[in-house]
Amino acid sequence: MSQTTRTGSPAVLSGPGSRLLALTGLAGVRPETWRQALLVAAAYYLGAKIGFAFTFQPHPISTLWLPNALLLAALLLTPVSSWWLLLAAALPAHLAAELQSGVPLAMVLGWFASNSTEALIGAVCIRRLCAAPLRFDSFRDVGVFLVFGAFLAPLLSSFLDAALVTVIGWGREPYWHLVRVRLFSNILAALIVVPFVLTWVADGFAALRGASPRRAAEAAALVAGLLVVGFATFDRHQAVSGAIPALLYTPLPLLLWATVRFGPRGTGATILLLVLLAIWGATHGEGPFVTSSPEENARSIQLFLIAMSVPVLLLAATLEQRRKDMIAQRQAELEAKEHRQQLTHLTRVALLGQLSGALAHELNQPLTAILSNAQAALHFLAADRIDPAELREILDDIVAEDQRAGEVIHRLRALFKRGETELRLLQVNELVLESLDLAHGDLVTRNVAVATDLSPHLPLVRCDRVQMQQVLLNLLVNACEAVSAAGARHVTIATRATDDGGVQVSVTDRGLGIAPERQPRLFEPFFTTKPQGLGLGLSISRSIVTAHGGRLWGTNNAGPGATFHIALPGHGETSA
Amino acid sequence: MTAGGTVFVIDDDAGVRKALSRLLRASGWEARAFASPQEFLAGHDPSEPGCLVLDVALPQQNGLDFERELAASGAGRPVVFITGQGDVPTSVKAMKAGAVDFLTKPFGESELLAAVQIAMEKDGAAREARAERRKIGDRIAKLTLRERQVLEHVVAGQLNKHIAASLGTVEKTVKVHRGRIMRKMGATSLVELVRMADLAGIRPSPAQPPAP
Repeated sequence: MSQTTRTGSPAVLSGPGSRLLALTGLAGVRPETWRQALLVAAAYYLGAKIGFAFTFQPHPISTLWLPNALLLAALLLTPVSSWWLLLAAALPAHLAAELQSGVPLAMVLGWFASNSTEALIGAVCIRRLCAAPLRFDSFRDVGVFLVFGAFLAPLLSSFLDAALVTVIGWGREPYWHLVRVRLFSNILAALIVVPFVLTWVADGFAALRGASPRRAAEAAALVAGLLVVGFATFDRHQAVSGAIPALLYTPLPLLLWATVRFGPRGTGATILLLVLLAIWGATHGEGPFVTSSPEENARSIQLFLIAMSVPVLLLAATLEQRRKDMIAQRQAELEAKEHRQQLTHLTRVALLGQLSGALAHELNQPLTAILSNAQAALHFLAADRIDPAELREILDDIVAEDQRAGEVIHRLRALFKRGETELRLLQVNELVLESLDLAHGDLVTRNVAVATDLSPHLPLVRCDRVQMQQVLLNLLVNACEAVSAAGARHVTIATRATDDGGVQVSVTDRGLGIAPERQPRLFEPFFTTKPQGLGLGLSISRSIVTAHGGRLWGTNNAGPGATFHIALPGHGETSA
Repeated sequence: MTAGGTVFVIDDDAGVRKALSRLLRASGWEARAFASPQEFLAGHDPSEPGCLVLDVALPQQNGLDFERELAASGAGRPVVFITGQGDVPTSVKAMKAGAVDFLTKPFGESELLAAVQIAMEKDGAAREARAERRKIGDRIAKLTLRERQVLEHVVAGQLNKHIAASLGTVEKTVKVHRGRIMRKMGATSLVELVRMADLAGIRPSPAQPPAP
């Protein structure tokens, strides 16, 4: 075999191929295409040799004729512009393989014509119908391949093939018999070769290298199982004929294993391995397919393998498609989550923008105190009335005011930061007081008095501090705006334990309340009653609270104004 | 620095009011600090000279509202407003209401001291004017009813002859009243008398046509 391979390959380089190229003057062919052509020639030659090995003598047609399917796979992998080169490269390989077997030249050339026709019909149809490269990862791809590549192309070319055989007079079998025999052989070859080559050439070897040890061990176990089962079923002499039907099912669990766990690539490889084992066994008189004449044996093994491969290929494609859909869905969910996070952050920044005046106020207080203290100290120094005790007091005050300004900045930085959600067990009352601190400047400038009614014994809540502050701040700002419009500048914020072990925070204002026609749309995004509002505050607040497993809703008070409630699930421990 | 007046600092922020009164004292002013208008009003003596440095954003009562109330009660003082958040509408409102200045925190000492200086001068002037009005009022109170009637005619620029005719008396009596009025009011000239009467709010008697 190695000897013939070496004689086969130079034929491509120094034979008619290079002269043909010199004649056509197409020297612009890329080196990659040359490599592909060489590969095709070698594969074609090897495939033909295997085909001869799997021929039931004295039958002229092989049980498993691989070259046509290899050619089809090669055409599907290359651009149409380089097809001619691949076919040209296959010709010498064909001649080399066939002429060794003593077939007349006319028949050899006739077979090359029918083989190329088969590959071309399959490749053209599949190229037409499948936009993307065929990967056997969707039901449609596999369907198109089965109908056009694995059935129609062998069928049409078999008509031509049988006609040529009849005309040249190489075989003695009737025309339709030849068609049938060649058809099954080529269908089987297409089923095992094309999926295997196409799925592995794309990224199979990269996947092998990148496999985790656990996955590699699983694959090794599968291959070992296939070898054991394959040999036991197909390559052992069947002593008891009654065991045959049951034995045929033994590869099925392994095939399904490959299909479910290793996708189209694993399925293709498994089918290839099983088919090689089965046919090798059958051609050597072993296994369940040796009960009748060689011809019938060949047909029954072909039919068995075809019937086994088709559903498995379809199943693998369907599973792969579902897996990809699931990945896409998970990706979409991840993106949606990312968008929600961005939006949450943006509305928080917008909220802080609304509060910016008040926040400037918070910073200006310590800055004023620091400046005035420092200037007072300068006066004392200039007037030579240095009292060390007073100077120390002034410096102490400056330090304290500076720390205060630092705290304001620190709180703000936490809110401006765009971070991952960080769930912690927190005390609701603490959150309320922190939010009031943040809103302090705004409350003062709006001249709104906030009363707190905080229940001392509350369960802890699991939440993201910054996001929950955002919700509370949002409700406080809304309440302030509501009371500013109404004139009764009182807001109450209350916390209490709920009956189901959770915590409820209620922000009550004495404003104008929620207009009935606005009630249903209150939490819709981009719904706003404020001239400068984005209309995202309540909608984002609700999505934050919902993400924490809680609820956010608004009701009108019995008296004037409205109350917004946040209910959060509690987490066991009761805080003092 | 001009001493003699007290700067009353009202700010709810302890750090700020402490620092401001410290700076004012270092600059030679008497300064007292209060956390709220209520604290300021408790035991406040309106007769004590001085001005207010008043925070606009106070938790209980807006600084602008407080200033208006104080002025309405007759105990108004010149006010320098200070604010942590200087928006234009508020400052315009404050200046229209007669504020000396409207300073946005953080402000430097020169701004504050200049504003306080002006406020103190205003307070001094207002106090002087009030004192003189009171003095004239006291003198007018010493006039008899008849003398007051004559004064109203005198400031209207009428001649003694006409005054006598209006009041149904003789010119010589009017002359005597006029001499007493000048003495009681401490006026050295008619012009001074007219200015005093004007300050005291005496309306000139409408001129009557001379008797035929």
